[in-house]
Amino acid sequence: MQVPVDLGLQAKPKGPDTLIDVRDMRIYYATTAGEAKVVDGVDLRIYRDEIFGVAGESGCGKSTFVEGLLRLIKLPGYIKSGTAQFFPKNVEGKEPDEPIDLLKISQQDMRKLRWKHIAYVPQGAMNALNPVMRIDDQIVDAIHAHVNMSRKDAIELMLKQLNMVGLPPYVANQYPHELSGGMKQRVTIASSISLSPDVLMADEPTTALDVNIQRIILQELKEIRERLGLTIVYVSHDMAVHAELADRMGIMYAGSVVEVGTTIDIFKRPLHPYTQGLIKSIPKIGGPRERLVGIPGLAPSPLAWPSGCKFHPRCSKAMDICRQVAPRLGVVEEGRQVACHLYETQPKVESENSERTLSEIKLHV
Amino acid sequence: MQKYKRFLFYVLRKVATYLFTIWAAFTITFFLFRSLPGDPVSAWAGALQQRYAVNMAGGSEMVEAYRKQFGLDKSISEQYFSWMYNAIVHQKLGPSFVNFPRPVEELLAERIPWTVGLLSVSILLAWVIGLLLGALAGWLRNSWISSLLTNYAVVISQVPPYLVAVMLVLWLGYSWRILPTQGAWDAQYTKGFNLPFILSVLKHAILPSVSIILVSVAGWILSTRSLIVNILGEDYLIYAEAKGLPTSQLLLRYGLRNALLPQTTGLALSLGFIMSGQLLIETLFLYPGLGELLARAIGAFDFNTIMGCVMLSIVTVMTASLIIDLLLPLIDPRVRAVVS
Repeated sequence: MQVPVDLGLQAKPKGPDTLIDVRDMRIYYATTAGEAKVVDGVDLRIYRDEIFGVAGESGCGKSTFVEGLLRLIKLPGYIKSGTAQFFPKNVEGKEPDEPIDLLKISQQDMRKLRWKHIAYVPQGAMNALNPVMRIDDQIVDAIHAHVNMSRKDAIELMLKQLNMVGLPPYVANQYPHELSGGMKQRVTIASSISLSPDVLMADEPTTALDVNIQRIILQELKEIRERLGLTIVYVSHDMAVHAELADRMGIMYAGSVVEVGTTIDIFKRPLHPYTQGLIKSIPKIGGPRERLVGIPGLAPSPLAWPSGCKFHPRCSKAMDICRQVAPRLGVVEEGRQVACHLYETQPKVESENSERTLSEIKLHV
Repeated sequence: MQKYKRFLFYVLRKVATYLFTIWAAFTITFFLFRSLPGDPVSAWAGALQQRYAVNMAGGSEMVEAYRKQFGLDKSISEQYFSWMYNAIVHQKLGPSFVNFPRPVEELLAERIPWTVGLLSVSILLAWVIGLLLGALAGWLRNSWISSLLTNYAVVISQVPPYLVAVMLVLWLGYSWRILPTQGAWDAQYTKGFNLPFILSVLKHAILPSVSIILVSVAGWILSTRSLIVNILGEDYLIYAEAKGLPTSQLLLRYGLRNALLPQTTGLALSLGFIMSGQLLIETLFLYPGLGELLARAIGAFDFNTIMGCVMLSIVTVMTASLIIDLLLPLIDPRVRAVVS
């Protein structure tokens, strides 16, 4: 396997096999007020067969990041720079381990990759279906766009997929408005995985649904992953969803990734002050009643990110260096990266999410 | 069974609204015109007096006689009910004044084919061209093609429509003399189904038709463009793109297909307006259609003809919209769900 040049940003653990390797991805929007740097230097590596959660507040660039990988950015947005090496299985006319740069290939080549290798469940999955077409037509046309098969075979494949997400066959003959939100959601998932893509990009697909349906759908996604060996990139602002679903997580803040690690590590020992804030703002059921600690202030505007570390105006542990130098995502320990000045000199932190240990580290700096 | 009952109820409700609207529109027009100062006979007498310096002082008996023939001596409510009675029971709309003594229904029947022929073709062509250009402008919304089309449409929609016609007449009719500018056919041909006559009719229709198309295409371009631009931002289009569908399919089955719903309604409505004719265009080209008739009737205070023209256009507009209401459930599955 051809390994891309490692810039030392991310340690590549032994075992798992890289599927997407994103380096310094930047997506800007040209506005009258200047350039909005919505995605401003994302470094991430996604492994095959994992569920990778992308978390962060609204407006941190999660969706744009995913849309960028799918090349769905519309003007005035554009991809400024960066690479996203993609290692799909069995792409026609390509060596097995030759990477494809998702940010550079032509739209024509991208069209061929979509759905068959890189599928998408959009944010407004409730409205993702064409209101004037029957469900079967909307799934079959996509199958036909990529695979040469008879309509009968395509319908059979579609029914199998619908069955997998627990939908009865009659749904195929219905129009979107005749289905409930949860059913529509399942139709989009069934449709997106029908050609067994390498990766499924799910952008807050359960946002518009009630928690009950949300849970069922998350469960189904997990099952599908186990059955098909699918890689899922799951974008959500909801930390609880990530806790339930994700194997590994990336926390985004102000257009870049500030922390990466396994979900367990991130919840047990959040390193970045922003991640700590996110986790502290999850309400707990049971236990003593206490006021939730949020993150003070609002997310900054992509038109004018703060200097240095973009989080410093809201960070209780901000130091002088934070205002001047932007920390880069660095390896803290095996499979754990963080972009924070608190950790650069002390890459390995043995802390239990405690304020005290962290402030001690600050003293060391 | 329940489903059919509800659909029947829907149809009945639509038909009842249809009849009531026609009646209301008719009544309003009737009283509006009668409440204006003056009537056809005195307008005519006044015109005679002015133009030929005829002394009408002794003609008051004649004026009275004409007034009686037109039923203008009766009270307004009497006129209203007798007009209604004659129109509904006998399908008679009374004598015309502009073409005295020919009955209005005869005049209308004579002019309908010209107007319908000219306008239906022009409207349909404008719709098809406008829809395609508008879809193109929406699809390529950041290209020079789009800004060219949009600028054209915005300018044209702000220019009075007859100005475009006058320009065309000036260039093609008078300066270059390649197209006839007046009437609907050349007098030297006998009216009927023969080739020279048909060719002459087509040739005469070009200028008025092109002036109508050039103007009304602008509205279709603008509305289709904005529909398509909106649809491009819809989640289902982004999802369709993420499915990796070819561009042609995206534009046609997901883009245009959804824009078609409101645009079909719009087309049917503008087809309904055919019967009101194109007043200015027909007058400018002296085209023997309903618009030109209406223009003359208004000038002469010809109540009967005005009422006939207005009635005809109200009925067709309303019928068109009734047909849309009844057809929409067939085109749009969402309306179907509401209805049944």
